[in-house]
Amino acid sequence: MTRLLSLLGGIAGFYRGNTAGIVGSTIVALILAMCLAAPALTGFDPDKRVARGHQPPSAEHVMGTTRAGKDVWSQALYGGRVSLMVAFAAATVTSIIALAVGVSSGYFGGRTDEIMMAVTNVMLVFPQLPLLIILAAFLGNVGPLVIALILGLTSWPWGARVMRSQTLALRNKEFITAAEIMGEAKWRIIVVEIMPNLVSLAAGMFVGTALYAIGAQAGLEFLGLGDPTVTSWGTMLYWAQSSAAFFVGAWWDFIVPGSFIALVGGGLALINISIDQISNPKLKTGSYLRTWRRLNAEINAKR
Amino acid sequence: MAFILRRLVFYCVAIFVAITFNFVMPRLMPGDPVDAMFAAAGGKLPPETLAAYKEMLGFVDAPLWQQYLQYLQSVVTLDLGPSIMLFPTPVTEVLSNTLPWTVFLAGIATILSIVIGCFIGLYASYNRGGFVDRVMPVFWQFIASMPQAVTALMIFFVFALTLRWFPLGFGFDPDLDPGLRPGFLANVAYHAVLPLVTLMLSMIATWVFTMRNAMVNVLGEDYIAMAKAKGLSSRRIMTHYAARNAILPVVTAVSMALGFAVAGQVFIETVFNYPGIGQLIIKSVAARDYPLMQACFLLIVICVLMANFVADILYVWLDPRLRK
Repeated sequence: MTRLLSLLGGIAGFYRGNTAGIVGSTIVALILAMCLAAPALTGFDPDKRVARGHQPPSAEHVMGTTRAGKDVWSQALYGGRVSLMVAFAAATVTSIIALAVGVSSGYFGGRTDEIMMAVTNVMLVFPQLPLLIILAAFLGNVGPLVIALILGLTSWPWGARVMRSQTLALRNKEFITAAEIMGEAKWRIIVVEIMPNLVSLAAGMFVGTALYAIGAQAGLEFLGLGDPTVTSWGTMLYWAQSSAAFFVGAWWDFIVPGSFIALVGGGLALINISIDQISNPKLKTGSYLRTWRRLNAEINAKR
Repeated sequence: MAFILRRLVFYCVAIFVAITFNFVMPRLMPGDPVDAMFAAAGGKLPPETLAAYKEMLGFVDAPLWQQYLQYLQSVVTLDLGPSIMLFPTPVTEVLSNTLPWTVFLAGIATILSIVIGCFIGLYASYNRGGFVDRVMPVFWQFIASMPQAVTALMIFFVFALTLRWFPLGFGFDPDLDPGLRPGFLANVAYHAVLPLVTLMLSMIATWVFTMRNAMVNVLGEDYIAMAKAKGLSSRRIMTHYAARNAILPVVTAVSMALGFAVAGQVFIETVFNYPGIGQLIIKSVAARDYPLMQACFLLIVICVLMANFVADILYVWLDPRLRK
């Protein structure tokens, strides 16, 4: 119970005076809630023809209809579920791989480190987008699950490098040496002693990857490499593009999914910036410095 | 020197990995991709080219290692055959027609965004904690976080389609003869404006952050305090003492950014219908033109690796500590 309270206190402390963090989290939470509550916010089935094609926004169809006569607002809400799920799934896969590779490489060192970092560096130097396009092209109309997997499996190298350097810095601290002398098992040192110190970095990495995955997924689907029968923000853009929505003046067809993607992207970026400003000592200025000092003082007061 | 040599070996390994990736991917597909490709082309191609393609892509009746050697040979000798989508133009010719457009866009966008971003970063660090310092980095990061596909679509809709200020696509007006004349170059520049701006919007944030962080680090050094104690004007300290040292990470990041700008133009070129390699790779995917698609991929990888290598050399040149 006290642990839960101190966790809540820590979260509250993170947000106090942190405008970027508050705005970003509010945007993302709001859109997430809207997508989850989709059945309450719209009565239309996103995959059924409910009106004539390319109707402008009206009282009945608040954001108009697509070429195929589907309700855009309903598609944006239900499609958001898919897009957000892919983003968070990809971010989870990436974080797990990056943590595993980075921490074991940094802690064990030696040959393990050399081999793992060689693989990481080769993957890091590859341009991601063309790699994704080739993968998606050979796999053929990839569904959301496959997109989440290939995004998760290809975007961990940068995070692994960050985790490794942080682990290297921690490895020579007294508390790790103490744990080793006391004869703690290696896995226990990694999980109990090292990992808790990587939480803020891992959070930053998770948010950063989710941000990247939202854009990459939308991009791949927009280019027609995804599965066009699954409604998501990316496939909405794809259908809008292939039905020449802009050229017939149906701007809502593009603007609605585009705005959702842009808002979630911007919100995640704001969260990422505020995590970074607090955890990265190089960036501390102004109000962030104050937040950081206060968080430090609170932690010290508890000890 | 040892450092450069080590990096060179590393990049060779990376190119080797890319070629192997190109070799393995079609073999993981169900069915025969060469047959699928010909089915997609719809009988446009003479049947004898089928055998030629199979041989070139290494689909021969031989053990896997022989197929691999065959493929390596055709890549190294640049014998990439004709494109299927644009039959019978050779793949190498298609690539040499498109790459300059992409490099042109990437180069100009990188230079402009460095100048703008560094200036903002410099100003922000100069007035640390001020309005620009608190708002500008966050603002640019917000802009850069929007997916390029979305930014490109919005800009296209507003400035090309609605306001009609800029053309709807292509590198230049089709009724103009290409040539190094002022009229033609002006037309190329006019067509490049929107793709350039979109590309820059996604790049400026990096430079704002790179420059600002580098400046913040340098401003804490003793020689800055010394310069202040000598009574130099703060402008002189900024430009002659701080910025000169802060520019080091920026310079080394330049060529890397150039490489990634080449790789990242897929959406921009698709939306603005710009005749570069990013649009080509998408068209070749849609047409199942595997030779062209794989060649595009390999070329982009090589561009990025070369840019990285130049960055390494610059780094050694600028930072004497690495020159051992």
